[in-house]
Amino acid sequence: MNNRQKRAAASFLRYAVLALVAVVMIAPIVWIAISSLRPPEEIFLYSPQLSWRTFVPEKIIWSNYEMLLASDFPKAVLNTAFVAFVTVALGILICSAAGFAFAVFDFPFKNALFVVVIITFIMPFESIVVPLYIMVRGLNWNDTYFALIMPEVASGFIIFLFRQFFAKVSRELFEAARVDGASWWRIYWDVALPLSWPTVVAGALMMFIHQWDAFFWPLVAATSQDLTMVQVAIARYLQFEQADFGRLFAAMTVASLLAILPFMALQRYYIRTIIDSGFK
Amino acid sequence: MRINPAYYFLAPAVLGLTVFKLIPIGIAVVGSFYGTSLMGESVFRGIENYRSILSDPDLLSSLGITLLFNLIANPLQVVLSLAAALLVFRPGPLIGLFRSVLFVPVTLSLVLTALIWNLLFDPFLGPVNAILEAVGVGRQGFFKDEAQAMGSMVWLATWRGVGYWMLFMLAGLYAIPESLHEAAKIDGASWWQRFRHITLPLMRRPIGFVLVAATAINMLFFAPVYVITAGGPNGATDFIMFRIYQTAFNYIDVGRALAMSTVMLVVVLLVALVELRLLRSED
Repeated sequence: MNNRQKRAAASFLRYAVLALVAVVMIAPIVWIAISSLRPPEEIFLYSPQLSWRTFVPEKIIWSNYEMLLASDFPKAVLNTAFVAFVTVALGILICSAAGFAFAVFDFPFKNALFVVVIITFIMPFESIVVPLYIMVRGLNWNDTYFALIMPEVASGFIIFLFRQFFAKVSRELFEAARVDGASWWRIYWDVALPLSWPTVVAGALMMFIHQWDAFFWPLVAATSQDLTMVQVAIARYLQFEQADFGRLFAAMTVASLLAILPFMALQRYYIRTIIDSGFK
Repeated sequence: MRINPAYYFLAPAVLGLTVFKLIPIGIAVVGSFYGTSLMGESVFRGIENYRSILSDPDLLSSLGITLLFNLIANPLQVVLSLAAALLVFRPGPLIGLFRSVLFVPVTLSLVLTALIWNLLFDPFLGPVNAILEAVGVGRQGFFKDEAQAMGSMVWLATWRGVGYWMLFMLAGLYAIPESLHEAAKIDGASWWQRFRHITLPLMRRPIGFVLVAATAINMLFFAPVYVITAGGPNGATDFIMFRIYQTAFNYIDVGRALAMSTVMLVVVLLVALVELRLLRSED
């Protein structure tokens, strides 16, 4: 084989592997979405025996989604959207401010404090779920939006990303604004924050997906029907209503798409922000 | 006295982190020395909770299961995420699309991931068994089989994890100067030689980071166990976090659950310290 043939073979192999991996990653989600368009009695009719009908519905129906709309699921979606949006708004504000402070100012115990920030983002949320629940119950916050929102607002990871971004901006830019008589608040609000919009987008997306996907914390901290979040609602469909697979598949499709679509639209910023943040 | 303006900017975030991350650690440590009396009062128990959990064979087996899971899943995720990053690193037609596709499972919640694979892997109704039967491998039990449940959990976690860790591997690959590869190519180095002697040594830090970060997450693997197996079949997936959850919210033995949480916190923070050194040595 000469060099060109070798390169062509390598390229073919590369795309073959990528195509295979892509199928493994996407097919499960596609199967769920397709099944959600089948009548409930057909969903598992063709799946035990492989045939083309396993992947192609006899006819497409929307009744699973109509049932889903009539259930308590839309309320769970609205609840989760509300929790996610408030978390994003508050979170971006206070995390960007903290990242700004770490990047721009010198102050006592700066390094020690930054180490604490990093520890909190490495520490998995699950490890403190029980004591956090005890504390939230002590505050009488259980079964409130406070319990769902407040613990997620200050995020070590988002602070870290903002700090990495602002650290790359020349300090002279901020100093110049300072000489012009701008207050630090104005510099942060009018100069730094608008400059960091890719990180704002990435951070907002991360926080949104984090709350949209939240399960363990809502499971223990907000048990009342009125506060049910999307993931908990779906897990309940499986546990208590085994028969109603049409609705389960429809709910899973909606929950997947509402996480995948915003990501697909904004992924450029997400990927760039992580790659630029200095994890190298 | 003038107050450093840094404090105004830091105050809300530091308050949030303190109240919702640090104080819970304190509550876990203090509460782990207490128990509840028959009258429902809180009583000091000293190290009794720790003595009892460390001599509980069920709990030790839970720890063993969690460690085994980590020993398989973490290296697997490191290798596959590095391989995926290498596949999508060089530009080419459709490469951006493949990169996004690999990342799609990351946006799904662990609950959805668990539900999806639970349905796909169903021994009787799942399409995966239909495919396996059609190609002659035969039907498998997956989550319902004591011998396969752990492997199925590893698969599920890896399916969702690889795309995420791939990003950090990509960050590492971008940081390797292209000139090194060019020089090696001129010297006639093969692809494997360049990977072995340039890429791999320079990727030590991202690989270390991913390994340790994956460990911190996988030590507390929970949602799929709750959704799919509830620790079964026959205790094969009795992960430590599921046991902590049951101890706290089903058996309402809070002191014991906090002692277990504290032990796991120490394990994870030890892991985190290693990770911190990796991140720090880079500045």
